[in-house]
Amino acid sequence: MAGQSDPHISLFSAEEVEFMAEDELIEIVPNMRMDPLNFICGDFGPFLPQIATQVPMWLAVALKKRGKCAIRPPLWMSVENLTKVLEGERDSQGAFQALPFHYVEISRLLFDHARDDIPDMYMVRSLIEDIRDVRVHKVETSLEKFSGTSAVKIPNLSAMEVNIIRPFVGRALQAFYKHDNPEKIPDVDRASSGQTRVANNEPRRPLRR
Amino acid sequence: MKIKSLKLREAHKGSANASFCSILWDLNAHHLVTASSSEPSISIHDPLLPSNPPRVLRHHRDGVTALALSPNSTCLSSGSIDHSVKLYKFPGGEFETNITRFTLPIRALAFNKSGSMLAAAGDDEGIKLINTIDGSIARVLKGHRGPVTGLAFDPNGEYLASIDSIGTVIYWELQSGRTLYTLKGVAPDTGSDTSILNVLSWSPDGETLAVPGLKNDIVMYDRDTAEKLFTLRGDHTQPICFMSWSPNGKYMATSSLDKQILIWDVNRKQDIDRQKFDDRICCMAWKPIGNALAVIDVMGKYGVWESVVPSSMKSPTEDIPSSRSKNSNGLLFFDEEDEEDQELSMSGSLSDLGEDSHGESEPPSRKRLRKQSVIDDDQHEDVYNELNLCTKTEYRKKVHRINKESSDKERDGSRSMMTFRPKMQEAFQPGSTPPQPGKRNFLCYNMLGSITTIKHDEYSHIEIDFHDTSTGPRVPPMTDYYGFTMASLNENGSVFANPCKGEKNMSTLMYRPFSSWANNSEWYMRFEGEEVKAVALGGTWVAAVTSLNFLRIYTDGGLQKHILSLNGPVVTAAGFKDELAIVTHISDCLPSNEQMLEFRIFNISKGTQPFKGHLPLTPGSYLTWFGFTEEGQLSSYDSKGVLRVFTSQYGGNWLPLFSASKERKSGENYWVVGLNVSKLFCIVCKNPDSFPQVLPKPVLTLLNLSFPLASSDLGEEALENEFMLNNLHLSQIQKRIEVMADEGLDTTPLDDEAFDIEAAQDRCIFRLIASCCNGDKLVRATELVKLLSVEKSVRGAIQLATALKLPILAERFNNILEERLQSKTEVLKTSLPRSKHDRNVKADVAASMALTATERSEISEPTFSSSSAKLSAPLLIKKVKSSDRVKFGKPKTDGDQTACLEDSREVNDAGKNAGPSQVKNLQTQRPSNPFLKLPNNQEEKKVEEVMSESQSQGPSNPFFKSSNKVREATGIQQSHRPSNPFLKSTAK
Repeated sequence: MAGQSDPHISLFSAEEVEFMAEDELIEIVPNMRMDPLNFICGDFGPFLPQIATQVPMWLAVALKKRGKCAIRPPLWMSVENLTKVLEGERDSQGAFQALPFHYVEISRLLFDHARDDIPDMYMVRSLIEDIRDVRVHKVETSLEKFSGTSAVKIPNLSAMEVNIIRPFVGRALQAFYKHDNPEKIPDVDRASSGQTRVANNEPRRPLRR
Repeated sequence: MKIKSLKLREAHKGSANASFCSILWDLNAHHLVTASSSEPSISIHDPLLPSNPPRVLRHHRDGVTALALSPNSTCLSSGSIDHSVKLYKFPGGEFETNITRFTLPIRALAFNKSGSMLAAAGDDEGIKLINTIDGSIARVLKGHRGPVTGLAFDPNGEYLASIDSIGTVIYWELQSGRTLYTLKGVAPDTGSDTSILNVLSWSPDGETLAVPGLKNDIVMYDRDTAEKLFTLRGDHTQPICFMSWSPNGKYMATSSLDKQILIWDVNRKQDIDRQKFDDRICCMAWKPIGNALAVIDVMGKYGVWESVVPSSMKSPTEDIPSSRSKNSNGLLFFDEEDEEDQELSMSGSLSDLGEDSHGESEPPSRKRLRKQSVIDDDQHEDVYNELNLCTKTEYRKKVHRINKESSDKERDGSRSMMTFRPKMQEAFQPGSTPPQPGKRNFLCYNMLGSITTIKHDEYSHIEIDFHDTSTGPRVPPMTDYYGFTMASLNENGSVFANPCKGEKNMSTLMYRPFSSWANNSEWYMRFEGEEVKAVALGGTWVAAVTSLNFLRIYTDGGLQKHILSLNGPVVTAAGFKDELAIVTHISDCLPSNEQMLEFRIFNISKGTQPFKGHLPLTPGSYLTWFGFTEEGQLSSYDSKGVLRVFTSQYGGNWLPLFSASKERKSGENYWVVGLNVSKLFCIVCKNPDSFPQVLPKPVLTLLNLSFPLASSDLGEEALENEFMLNNLHLSQIQKRIEVMADEGLDTTPLDDEAFDIEAAQDRCIFRLIASCCNGDKLVRATELVKLLSVEKSVRGAIQLATALKLPILAERFNNILEERLQSKTEVLKTSLPRSKHDRNVKADVAASMALTATERSEISEPTFSSSSAKLSAPLLIKKVKSSDRVKFGKPKTDGDQTACLEDSREVNDAGKNAGPSQVKNLQTQRPSNPFLKLPNNQEEKKVEEVMSESQSQGPSNPFFKSSNKVREATGIQQSHRPSNPFLKSTAK
């Protein structure tokens, strides 16, 4: 539904969403000594061996790739918490459990780069995949019931999920609006939506990794 | 990496439909025994090599429904649908005997604690208690109306609990064989499905009996009264079919018909973990050693769930309770209980008892005769049965409690005897953790890196890791044939030592440098009849302290350099560059359980002993860590969580710099690794653990050092703490500067550091003054002002006092400043050559003279202004005084302006603000100031110029107006220039 599997229709590609998530802070345990780093986004460090410090995700991944640190998985990524969240997701049909806005991307980045730092990696991974599936399913079922409203309000939706449903919801809302007030919106709307379609369907240059 | 998703392995094929299967661990967790009710074979698996085919015992002719292993794991018994109960030798599996036969299938078996008795039950009417030695049937317990499916001996050996398939629980007393309580319908009715068997289980301490409840929960019943205590209720959606206590009774695993296993923290009554399975788990067993749970499902597939309890929590095998000693009380108590129990059962549940109670109705009366002397009102028991029921129960409970307490006391007594015996602290290495079977432990963990060891079969494997992997040397792991238990690590190398183990394994000391130009530069020392107790490593030396109280010092090349005799048995040793610190026992500990320790600091390269003395500890504690700070200060940490740092102040003393009890958040222990000037580096361990594990790699936590200050009425502990810490650092640095200056080294970096700390200290004091002023602690504020090191700060303080409208205080501050300047000028004056009074002023002295002039003008001003104010306008005295003083910063610049024109910035400032009044001050002060004659002509000329200017501007009545203007000027100054340079420098 709603082009969830088709990245071209989404406003951002998965890579782009991931890129945005890389600004999230995460705790690392460096294994080297380094002076503080001064970036536009802030100062990080100093880095002392075996003493935890907070850095943005991209820096953490960069250091991890060079074997300069261990990433401490965030607290919500524990098996206990995820099990609880998963159950919460399953139990409540309408509401979404509170998870970080970028939970999909953060967990993905950690699974890709910091496999050895996550205890019970397979369990965590399968739990997060389950949670994701349950949530996506919930989004889809809730959108099925979507009817003539002027706005859609779903609290605790994550970046990836928003990205998936954004084009559909946007167009659907437009359509509803149009049907509700046929006289107010002349052909302009159709034209503009057509244009955006065209624009969105352009082949996208894949991000360099 | 742990793999949580559990793979089950087929043990029993059986039929396609569900059948009850059993699983057991043996005592040492070397074997797993499984059986299925659809298959006649029993399998003994090796949990380490699950792929190996199991040993199979085929003696039954039909499915095996029950298994039990005697507590010492030497005897296995099995019960089967073929109505027989068999005994086998274990782990061999040789068939011993058919110990009993029933007329219907067996459903449950249980050994008692000593293994002398086996209880067997099933679809037959009674529970058989069988002597395992001769196979004689001791008793048949009849009372259940349905097939008995669960049996459990109380760990303390007094009761047997049984449950049947219709949900009735019966407490039996073993001595008499009577029912104590019958709880009807407390557990689910499992009907005729033989793959579901109701079970029940005593907690390992025997205090509670766990029974599956009717609401998909576990209900806990009291041991003595069978009262419902609490329930574990959570996410099971169907009735519970099996439960198992962890060996320590802190956790419980429950499996339910909904195919999940939940792990509970029993004390918190909360589930902590869960696992879903494809089939219903019908039996579980906690591994007796370690953190694992063996499970088997109804299809005969078994598996071992590792790391069931999160590593953050107490291990399920920690603190296994010792069941109370049997029969520690006299016979009398038991008799009483018999009586009570009988009364109770007769009154409470006569109908349930059936033939059993009829058969035993005689003995109680006999006992009663004997007992009448003890409890008088027993005679009327029958009459008051109903009324007394409650009190009886309570009484019974009380008896038990007393009895328990007494046995507890006994145990405590013996324990305290043990501790009160000479319990001098054992020698230890700072930063080491105790060895744990099958796990790595730290031999040494410091700020630099760690040495870990793990025992494999006969040899150990030692790994040396540096925290800083980029700069630290990479050290290959080594195999340790000696069994080292002590180690120490620094940048250059590592030293190891092992205790002696018997004749042929002598105590050995080994040093291993990390980088050396020569090959094979590691060396060994062997000690005959002597044992190394502690090792330490320094810049160019290795030290070992031995059981003969010898301190042996080697060079890092292995040269035996010194052997010193120590006063007492060593506790620990630590090294830092040239310094070696050793802690020894002075004497036996005091009766109050205080360790009597002494420390000595040696300087190895100089061959001196700068300090020795008593090592203080918190009463009742022992030393847990000993070492040097990053800067080389000796420090210690005791088991009560107090960190002390040695200072040479007051002739060598220990300052308490950190207290875990103040810092501690709920249930954390701090395992100290090191410290620097302001921070303590430690590893935080969740409460039951007092030391960290090697994996996952521990992360250091930084904690602020703080003096254990009393809570003062000022409410500024943080500032006071900072103040004291700064003082400490300052004294440390000054000491180091002295030392370095003595050695003729360059002290500039240290000087800079000292200056920084002084500045920080002034800021801190300034804030303290502010809070003192606000808190109306004026005496304390004046004391603090005296401690300020820079004049600027004093002036800032004066300004502050004025701004806070505390004129008396401002005046006091002023006096302090005057005194200070006075003393300073006196120093300067004496230092200046006499020739100054002559007119032969040379160029090179001019500058210094100008300086003195400046200062003099400053000094003279306050005296002048106050006197002038007194003269002219007595009413305004106070205002004038205060305002004048506020302007202290300014008048100085005026002085500068008149004295020397070099300081351009200040001149500009002064130029802006130089009101006529200030100039007038200058003018009037001139005659009163004897020193002002000194300045050279040029200067005087300038002053005159300024004077003339001021006179042209100034009014004829100088004093009154001047004071007014001063006030104005101050007002302006304060409003216009909030960024007063002095304020900035002090309050930054």
